[in-house]
Amino acid sequence: MADLSKLFDAVLNGDQKTAVAVTQEALAEGRDPMELITQYMVPAMDEVGRRFECEEYFVPELLLSARAMKGSLELLRPLLAASGAEPAGRVVIGTVKGDLHDIGKNLVASMLEGGGFEVIDLGADVGPARFIAAVREKNARIVALSALLTVTMPSMRKTIEALKEAGVRDHVKVMVGGAPVTPQFADEIGADGYGENATAAVALARKFAQAG
Amino acid sequence: MKLRLISCEVLYRELCAAAARSPHQVDAEFLPKGWHDLGWRRMAGLIQEKIDAVAPGACDAILLGYGLCGNGLDGIEARHTPLVLPRAHDCIALLMGARARYQEFFEEYPGTFYRSAGWLERGKGLKQLAHGTTGLENSLEDFIAKYGEDNGRYLYEELTRYRSAYQRLVFIETGLEPDSRFEDEARWEAAEQGWEFLKIPGSLDWFRRLVNGDWRGEDFLFVQPGERVRAAYGDGIVRVEPVRETAP
Repeated sequence: MADLSKLFDAVLNGDQKTAVAVTQEALAEGRDPMELITQYMVPAMDEVGRRFECEEYFVPELLLSARAMKGSLELLRPLLAASGAEPAGRVVIGTVKGDLHDIGKNLVASMLEGGGFEVIDLGADVGPARFIAAVREKNARIVALSALLTVTMPSMRKTIEALKEAGVRDHVKVMVGGAPVTPQFADEIGADGYGENATAAVALARKFAQAG
Repeated sequence: MKLRLISCEVLYRELCAAAARSPHQVDAEFLPKGWHDLGWRRMAGLIQEKIDAVAPGACDAILLGYGLCGNGLDGIEARHTPLVLPRAHDCIALLMGARARYQEFFEEYPGTFYRSAGWLERGKGLKQLAHGTTGLENSLEDFIAKYGEDNGRYLYEELTRYRSAYQRLVFIETGLEPDSRFEDEARWEAAEQGWEFLKIPGSLDWFRRLVNGDWRGEDFLFVQPGERVRAAYGDGIVRVEPVRETAP
């Protein structure tokens, strides 16, 4: 029988090969895909987040754990879709107009996927119209905006205003983050939340998803 | 006047040249470059510590040789001595000499790396500050040694992909350079990355005015004791806020 504690360890240690191998073995034995996610991988990612918060893990470790989890999720997703299981939530994410920086945004996207969210990643330098179109098309309930420069932070405000004008603001929760972004700025532009780092972003998205 | 200058070392040459000709006595302290990479909370805390170390009455004003720097100056408070700082996003705007010029460049040339003498001679990257936390400065070999072949290659790809979003390297020449060494290095770097190279003239104007006490107009923020610096997210870039009325 597949030893699923190895799946937990593989995600925690960023070992994609083992994560994939254990997942294949478990699926061959007819284990429930949802069980693999909720009982092993999400707790492993939570532990990754905890280690990041205490500075035992850094950006490379986060990327590797997210990679391991993604490897496993790729095998599970088709099965989940077939069974009609819904993701924890749908998040449209992007770096705002004028800003080309995407490492932090990619990290948040990976961690959100690791947290069981379906992530629609629009990339960098994304104008308000593309956020609006993606929210409508994918029926996403969360919009995550990233910026790395104080020069481009005003684009976050513009994006939120555009969501309002398009009539979709009330259907989504908007979270903002990125190195120069402050909680005060998030309040000022009418965002629903601010995530200081990738693990905080996941916690925030979960709060939004649970609230409804 | 007696002025105390607290500045990022990336502007060392420009501010020393300006201070040498100032009508005032300027005592300068230069701090390690790249603090914006520590995040706004830590950067503001470190600069506040330096401001707080200035004794009451030691000088007439404390000058900050910084821009807003990724919000690293947001929340900084004037205690007993006024603070004066340029209304600029960062050192690149300061080296260009005007906010509007920086904004125009930013819009016309997205995907640009900027270099100046300070950026080149004090380490092009931010290795001295990375504390190994982002891995952005690591080579492929560093990653493979630490994380193994497969994961090492993956990390290197993930953490260097941002470079493909850049097309251009702009060298800002202030006229203080001793010879062509900095320009040569910048050209070499652009060629190595496959980026277009552009040289533009910098300006010492902002530095001169800062140390000369010529703070009139829209280019400086004056922070009185009991006030703090706040990011403004508009044309002014920074504004003041009374300390008492609001929490930091």
